[in-house]
Amino acid sequence: MERIALVDAAIDWIVSTRLSWFVTNYRWVWPLAESVHFCGLALLSGTVGLFDLRVLGVAKGIAPSTLHSTLRWGVCGFGASVITGIMFISGAPDQYFYNEAFRLKAVFLVLMGANAALFYWREFAGIRTLGPYDDAPRSTKIVAAASLVFLVAIMLCGRMITFFRPPF
Amino acid sequence: MMQLFLSIEQNPLSVWVRESPSLLAFPFILFLHTLGLAMLAGVNIGLAVWMLARRSVPSFDVVSVYRVMWLGFGINLLSGLVLLAAYPAKALTNWVFFVKLVLVALGLWALQQTKDEIVVVAGTAVRELSARGRRLAMLSLLFWAGTILTGRLLAYTHHILLASDF
Repeated sequence: MERIALVDAAIDWIVSTRLSWFVTNYRWVWPLAESVHFCGLALLSGTVGLFDLRVLGVAKGIAPSTLHSTLRWGVCGFGASVITGIMFISGAPDQYFYNEAFRLKAVFLVLMGANAALFYWREFAGIRTLGPYDDAPRSTKIVAAASLVFLVAIMLCGRMITFFRPPF
Repeated sequence: MMQLFLSIEQNPLSVWVRESPSLLAFPFILFLHTLGLAMLAGVNIGLAVWMLARRSVPSFDVVSVYRVMWLGFGINLLSGLVLLAAYPAKALTNWVFFVKLVLVALGLWALQQTKDEIVVVAGTAVRELSARGRRLAMLSLLFWAGTILTGRLLAYTHHILLASDF
């Protein structure tokens, strides 16, 4: 009960912010933010996905380190998705905080972040020295496969948010 | 025309996709459409960004990358046709839908043209990236961004949802 009261208090505060007012009072903001959210997702999934695919053995001939340099654009795409995501939440917080699909999406986002941290902690040094036709070590392939699985799971949960909206 | 839309939207598959409470109906098909977009537009965007950051491209397995993108297109085409069958009047009476189709066609054209620019002649290790190759990479980014924009706007710009409501 205490947790629900806390969530409700957070929702009340969010809907009182200027951002919430901006998102809900201009008709074009939501569709435009959705477009930017999807473009950001495409940029993220494209750069991270292509890098992961190379680690898994697709596109041999490209040294993984050269594809790694495109990940900064993926981070930009992720940033755009986070900003627009915050806009959605500010516009209809109750539709997100009480939504199972959104909670699961948040879990997968955390898992993807943890997976990325694991990659830089344990695998990145090995990847930097790989040649264009070299195979990545098995442990790196597992991290890359997990990254792709988390990406797809985030997309799936994101798509399901609409269908798990609470009835209020 | 409305009669045709009506007959399409009343076929069993369309009714199941639209009215079934199962998550495997409309929600899952919509997810497949997003997955296909990530595989086609996403990987093409990743490839374009990579190309734009380089002066030359190495000899690499282009076919394997294009296989992923064409698989994405196949998923998009099939899921798109099923979504269209569920709500034919919604899409086919909206000019934004046709703009989206043109942009998808242009994106696929740019994708195929790009292939000619990145395939390295046998016996050589690298190929200088031409100005045309860079232009195609830029165009790919624009076409897919336009496709995503028009795809999202479809939900907000339609005048008719179902032919039976008309």
